[in-house]
Amino acid sequence: MIPKHLFSTRIISKDFIEQIFSLASKIESNPDQFADKCKGKILGTLFFEPSTRTRLSFESAMLRLGGQILGFTSAKVSSAVKGESISDTIRMINLYSDIAVIRHYIEGVGEIAKNFASIPVISGGTGSQEHPTQALLDLYSIKKEFKEIDNLSIGVMGDLLYGRTIPSLLFALAKYENIDLHLIAPPALRLRKNVALRLKENGFKYNIEENLKDIISDLDVLYMTRIQKERFPDPVDYERLKGVYQISTEDIKNVKDRFIILHPLPRVDEIDYSIDKTKHSRYFEQALNGVWVRMALILIYLGID
Amino acid sequence: MSENSEKLIVTKIEDGTVIDRIPPGKALKILEILGIDSNYPYTVALAMRVASKKMKLKDVVKIRGKALTPQDTQKLSFIAPTATVNIIVDYKVQEKQNLKVPNHVEDFVDCVNPNCVSNAHEPIVSSFDVVSKDPLILRCVYCDRLLEQKYLNRKL
Repeated sequence: MIPKHLFSTRIISKDFIEQIFSLASKIESNPDQFADKCKGKILGTLFFEPSTRTRLSFESAMLRLGGQILGFTSAKVSSAVKGESISDTIRMINLYSDIAVIRHYIEGVGEIAKNFASIPVISGGTGSQEHPTQALLDLYSIKKEFKEIDNLSIGVMGDLLYGRTIPSLLFALAKYENIDLHLIAPPALRLRKNVALRLKENGFKYNIEENLKDIISDLDVLYMTRIQKERFPDPVDYERLKGVYQISTEDIKNVKDRFIILHPLPRVDEIDYSIDKTKHSRYFEQALNGVWVRMALILIYLGID
Repeated sequence: MSENSEKLIVTKIEDGTVIDRIPPGKALKILEILGIDSNYPYTVALAMRVASKKMKLKDVVKIRGKALTPQDTQKLSFIAPTATVNIIVDYKVQEKQNLKVPNHVEDFVDCVNPNCVSNAHEPIVSSFDVVSKDPLILRCVYCDRLLEQKYLNRKL
């Protein structure tokens, strides 16, 4: 079943995920075939928080499908500065577009969409809560590399507390079989209790690590995240933790041949530039995969074959 | 002091609500969440740490002229799950309710997450699923954050 809006990977089925991947793969192999699929359709883009890849790749996705885009890239140019509520803003985009993507620092916006939008609304990131389309493109990138997601050994490192990509990635991974998952983070940046509880309720097990060195040679995938300055209530905590988990070519000397590194980007200094040139880096290809996955999502949500 | 002599302290009320078998020491908190303060115009009787056959010690509150709303009863169930609510009409118990912690509550307490949409100015009310009854843990329907007993004790 496809949920009316997409705000969480927790409530979508593995079949739906595979349906997205299958279409994304078709689009990737022949994008021109899809060039006019969304002619006459409008994607509303409500970005209340800064975004580079998510916004650009959504816009690129709609433009490549022959559709048009309408929206704003900062809360400052919307009526939010006048105190307009999220529900009223969603009501408006509902009138002006056929499908919408919303990024907001406020969490739980998906429930507002449920109540006030009749068009499909997709999350482009919601506070620290979730970033479902990022998780979908992350898994698509893994699947492209390894053909299957089942049975892989995956390390997820960095800011597991504030990073919104993390809950979405883990909820999606929890739908696959026999994932050997390692969460590598300092105690202060481990998973939020609610995310850990959701995983427990799903019977999804993982190992908590503090040191990447102990496990890096066992991993197929290392998913890195940025320590997010903007989510820290106390800047002192940010300064203390920002450089804790960084990798350079020195750290990947003994990895598996097919080992890959992913990162939702932007990176600050957690991945040394020297890694970019190695055969293990995949974060730029990952960013491109966002376009194929978002094209597939737009088509599925608009009900276009 | 015997149970008999304590009965003399708290006399019968004509109409209102008697909340019995409250965990000892919680009676004041219960009056607070029911909004009963020094301005309440009718008789309020409160007994703390009186002998109880079932609980050894209990608190009892009698409030004349007060009928509990479903929301009041919900709050009571979280603070005093052992309590019974007796509705009194003409000095007699007309109805006796045993409290039960519900599986879902709405418009009950603010979400712990300042960035939760239920704390923003939106046309919605806070909404929580009860994921554990002992210890009490609620999960926000909007932002998924957990409200734990410590937070609830402070907020309720």
